[in-house]
Parts: sequence; C-alpha cells; structure tokens
Amino acid sequence: MTSPRRDISPALAICGLALVLVAAVIAGIGSGAVSVAPGDVIASIVRGLSGRAQGMADTLIWQVRLPRVVLAALVGAALAGAGVIYQALFRNPLADPYILGISSGAGLGAVIALTLTAQATALRYGLVPAAAFVGALATMFLVVKLASWRGRLDAISLLLAGVAVSYTLSALTSFLQVFAREQMASVVFWMMGGLGSASWPYVAMIAPMFLVGAALALASTRELNLMLLGDERAGQLGVDVSRFTYFALTVASLLTAAAVAVAGLIGFVGLMVPHMVRLTLGPDHRSLLPASLLGGATVLVLADLVARTVMAPVEIPVGIVTAVVGGPFFVWLLVSGGRSR
Amino acid sequence: MTSSLHFSRACIGYGAARIVEDATLVVAPGEVVGLVGPNGAGKSTLLRAITGEADLFAGDIDVAGTPIRQMTARERARVVGVVPQQVTVAFSFSAEAFVGMGRHPYLSRFGSPGEHDRAQVERAMRLTDTAHLAQRPVDALSGGDLQRLALAQALAQEPQVLLLDEPTSHLDLNHRLQVLDLVRDLASDGISVLAVFHDLDLAARYSDRVAVVSDGRVSAADSPERVIDADMLRRVFGVRAVVGIDPVTGTTAVTPVLRDGAVAAHRRGRLLVVGGSGVASPLLRQLVLDGWQVSAAALNAGDTDAHVAEALGVPFAHLAPFAPMDEDAAAEVRALAAGVDAIVVCDVPFGHGNVENLGASVGAGVPIVLVGGIEGRDYTGGRAEALWAAALNAGAVEVANADGVRAALDSLLDKPDAR
Repeated sequence: MTSPRRDISPALAICGLALVLVAAVIAGIGSGAVSVAPGDVIASIVRGLSGRAQGMADTLIWQVRLPRVVLAALVGAALAGAGVIYQALFRNPLADPYILGISSGAGLGAVIALTLTAQATALRYGLVPAAAFVGALATMFLVVKLASWRGRLDAISLLLAGVAVSYTLSALTSFLQVFAREQMASVVFWMMGGLGSASWPYVAMIAPMFLVGAALALASTRELNLMLLGDERAGQLGVDVSRFTYFALTVASLLTAAAVAVAGLIGFVGLMVPHMVRLTLGPDHRSLLPASLLGGATVLVLADLVARTVMAPVEIPVGIVTAVVGGPFFVWLLVSGGRSR
Repeated sequence: MTSSLHFSRACIGYGAARIVEDATLVVAPGEVVGLVGPNGAGKSTLLRAITGEADLFAGDIDVAGTPIRQMTARERARVVGVVPQQVTVAFSFSAEAFVGMGRHPYLSRFGSPGEHDRAQVERAMRLTDTAHLAQRPVDALSGGDLQRLALAQALAQEPQVLLLDEPTSHLDLNHRLQVLDLVRDLASDGISVLAVFHDLDLAARYSDRVAVVSDGRVSAADSPERVIDADMLRRVFGVRAVVGIDPVTGTTAVTPVLRDGAVAAHRRGRLLVVGGSGVASPLLRQLVLDGWQVSAAALNAGDTDAHVAEALGVPFAHLAPFAPMDEDAAAEVRALAAGVDAIVVCDVPFGHGNVENLGASVGAGVPIVLVGGIEGRDYTGGRAEALWAAALNAGAVEVANADGVRAALDSLLDKPDAR
C-alpha cells in the first residue's frame, strides 16, 4: 500500500519543473510589444553567451527581456524558498513572508533607503537590499516576540501579529512618501510589486543574497523536516532548536529581503507555491525545497509575462497579478486545507 | 557496574520555577527504573531535564559518563532516545522516512543515509513490528502504530539510554504489553531505561526498581514491592488501596479502595461491623466514606474483608488464616463492641469458627442492625439462630441490604445533617 503522492518520483518531478521553468523563461523573453519566436530566443541567447550578439533583437533580448525574466525568476524562487522555511518553522501552511509582515518590514527598510538615496547610484544598489534585510529581520523578531506566549507560538497569534505589524509598517511607509514627494511615483509603483525597472545591476544586487540564502536553506532540509515534528521532538532527535530557529529565520529574511529590495511587495507566491508542491510531492524538504524554488521562479516569470502583456502597452504591477490569483487561493486554504494539514 | 544515567543532587525546573529539588537517581545498563507519582509532581520534568527541555539549576546529570551540560543536541541524541507520551504528526511522511529521522544525529550536513543507517532503520522497524507500515503515510496511522513508530525512531538513534514518558497511555491492552515487553528485551541487551508510569501495576511489572516523585522530591529507587505499598499510596496519592500480589505475574498489584478526599468531612459515630468471606467489603468502604469511624470484628488473614479493612485503616481482631476464634479473639471483639455506638452484622455464614462475633455483638448492649435473615446461614446447629432471635428480641433492626443499613443507622443514631 502506497500513498498516491509517492507515485511521483521527487527527482523526476524536480527535473520536470526545471524544464517547465526553462520553457517559461523562453516564453517570457519572447513575449512583449515585439514578440520573438522561441527558436530565435534560443539562438539569440546562444549568440549572446558566445559574445556574438548583434542587431536590435539581441539588444532587446539581452538588455531588456533577459534581465527582467532572470530577476522575476530570482524573486519568485526567493519568495517560495522563504515561504517553505516559515511554514516548516511554524508548522503552519498559512505562513508566508507577506502574511507574516516580513515583506512590509523589508519594504519599509527599502523605502527608507530609497528616500535617502535620490538617484540610481551605486550607493542605492548597496543600501536598498541591506536596509530591506535589516527591516525584514527586525520585523521577523518583532512578530515572533508578539505572537509568543510563555515560549509558545500559536498559529492564530502569529497571523494576527503579522497582520497588525504589516499594517503599521505599511502606514509608516506611506507616511514616508509624504515627505519624499518627488520620488513618490517610483516608490508607489515599487510598493505595488513590479519588475518594471529590472536591469542587470538589479540582478547583480540580489543574486548573491539569493544564492547564499538558497544554499543555506538547501543545506538545512533535514532539520526542516525534523522541525515539522515539533520543537520538542526535533530537540530530542538532535536539533539545537532555538539556534536552528534563529538561523532559519535569518535565512528566510535574507531571501525575503532579496525579493522585496528589487520587486517591492509581491504577495502569495511564498504561500501558494510551497503548498501546491507539498500537495504533489509530500512534505519532505529534500524535494519540497528545490521543487518550490523552481516552482516559485516559474510562477513569477509567468505572472510577470501576464502583467506585461495582458493590458499592453500598459503594464500592471506583477504583485497585482499574484494577488488576484493568490487571494482566492488563500481563502480556499483557510477554509479547507489549513485545518486538516 | 557503571551507570548510564546518573542524576546527582539535580535541581530542575522551568525558568524561575523549581519543580524538582535535589534529585539523585542512578540507572544502570540493562536496568528499567520506573518513576511513579501524582500528576504534576515532576516525573516528566526529570526526563525533560535530560533532553534539555527543562533547566538544570544545580547538581549534575551524567549520561554515559558525560555531564549533559557539556553535550550538544547532536551528541546527546546519539546516546539518549525518547518516546513521548503522545505522537502527533500533521505531515504525511512515510513511516520509513519518519523512523529514518532518528538517524539525523549521525548524518553529516550533506551526507545521505548509508548502509548502516538503512540497516538500523530496518532493524528498529522489525523490532517494533512496524516493518509492514514502511510505505504508509504516518498521518493516516492509528495512535498505536504511531507510538510504536516513535519507539522505532528512538531505537534508530542507537541509544544507550531510553526515556519513556507514559509510553503506553494511549495504547490498547495488546500493544501496551507488546511495547513494554519490547522495552524489557531492549534492557536485557544493555540499554538503560527510565520510564514514567501512571499505571502502578505496569510499573511494578516492568521495572527493576521504582522511585516515587512527589512534592518536588525523588525517593530512593527500590524494588517495586518495597516501594509500592498501602502506606506510600495513602501518603503520596491520598488513596487507600489493597496492595497484593498479582496471582499470574507474581508482581505487585494495586486495587484502589477509596480516595481520602472522598470521605465525608462530617465525622459520625463509631461502628463495629461483623463480616468475613468478603461479604462486608463494599459496606465497610461505604461506611468509611459516609464518615463513620468503623472497626470490624474478627477476620481471618487472607480474607478479602481483612485486606479491605487494612486498606481502609479499619481496626479489627486478627485471626490466622482459616483459624477459628479462640477466647482471646472473642475478648478482643467484646472490647471493640463495648466502645461503639452501633453494631452492623453482615449476611456472613456463621460456623463454630466465627459465631462468637455474633455472641459478642448481642452481649454488647448497643443498637444492632442485622443484614438479611439468618435462614440457611447457621452452620452451628442452632446457636447462631438463637443469638439472632435474641438480638431481634432486644430491639435489633433487620434490613435487606447495604442501603437498608445506612437508612437504619440514620434513624437509630444521628442524621448526617442533625449535627
């Protein structure tokens, strides 16, 4: 007797997801005001990689489309990875960086940095992600502190604390904008969650954060599994629980900050993707985490594709697209899955 | 023999609250030590101090010769396995993956399980009779299966010390015996076991030694029959109980008779109960509960009424097993009868061995309540019937059963609410 979800081999599923991501990336590069056939996209990428890029099409793909798609993939993967970690630590499928208020914390940090640095300077590229990370980390500890009672964290308090902190920080963020009117438009667009300003410097800015965060998370999959058994049992089986919790929260905040620093507030990716993957592959983080990273990347590349093309030439912030899909999904999760899982 | 687990003058608690003071306890390899005591006394806290979930304020706890303060969580998990009271899993790992988590303390960060790890998981599942569940998702299994999987998970840690926190409280009778028999076998292989038991009979049956945890203190561990006695049960649990030997297992068996807290606060008069052959036991218990100060006439050692009277703290004239009453015994009963407000004679058969209980009662000159009729119970050739008739002539009340006794006593003596 085997559980149905075991019929899908995790290794096979991860390879499949990688292929889907590649297809989504090619589609994402090909779509836009000027559409490029998939074959031409591949040819252009090959030319660019071998240093022989030429003509308008290659410039469009290499300078506009590719950085944007890569950035979308990194942001999506980072959000999904953070979601996986939060959900394991809190044993709660409703946890994600957006709902816990971590994104708002990172957002406030980023907006402060944006307001202080008037132009797109090297200082801004360094300061925004750093401030986002500090904001995310501080918010994380604040929310956990607020939701803990006698050393215990319960799901409802966690969500309530997350929502409360999130509103407060958003208000502070709006308040800041009143003082920085000349940057209001860009901050507002950034806050709605957008990849419109994507460029290679942005990719370079968050790629190291993402790579470090993802590597540390992938090195902790066994501990994440044990955390699902509860703090007490994890400790009995050899996990230094409080140390690991702080470590994992820091990793998740790093991933969240990477995403928020370049793309603003994008909700629900960190919630939906891990949950869908868990439904198909089961709870084992050795497959859940890599599959969620790939899935998150794919989802955001596709969401950005929709955001760019559905009302072209007007571009919708990608956060609106994920929220339109994610809101109902969250309600469904609350009504059905959240109780039994 | 070296100890695998050694508490020396350990003070344990949580944060600012000290739960257990000055605990000293040794568990040797191959030994099962049981912890018994009331709820909230600190039994589980003792176990939790070993795994670092409770704080060790003073003293030491050594595991396999190393102080736990010096061990990392990983090092400790290679030596100490825990089976919790109840296992809850909200996520659908396969049973095999679940047991495999017990190998965590042996795996390097990027290492994957090797031949030895798989062999240990397989062995743990075979021992706990869970091998057939290997591919099942754990969130679909019964509590009994989960409990055995938790034991398998702990065994996969290859522990030298196994801690059990009421490991069988959620198991049915069959699985309870299966798990505890297995624990005994593991101890025979050299593992040290420290187990919290709520069920005193199981504690006596499966422990080499038992320690009592109460009021923040841990008693010296000793053999179950020396630790679990009526005196300890009354002192620690506030329960009066018959402590005997289970005829099948030959181990201590506890039958609770009444809780001290259930005895009526209102003190009533003094009664003498004539019983024997076990017929008086329920009435003795009820009268003590009602607040009467009860003594009993002569009872043979080994008689159920004698066991119950002892458990209740009811004084009585002691007879050797199957011995008839001699003049000394009769005099003792007369002395008891002289000091009471009323006498209750139960529907016990009367022979030459015990008819003097009836004789002493009739001669005492206090109100008598007779249960049942004498017909068919007189094996003395008429003496018992004559005494019975004399009692009735002198104004004794004849009632049908225990309820009748209580009603008769209420009307003969004071009502409970009269005082």
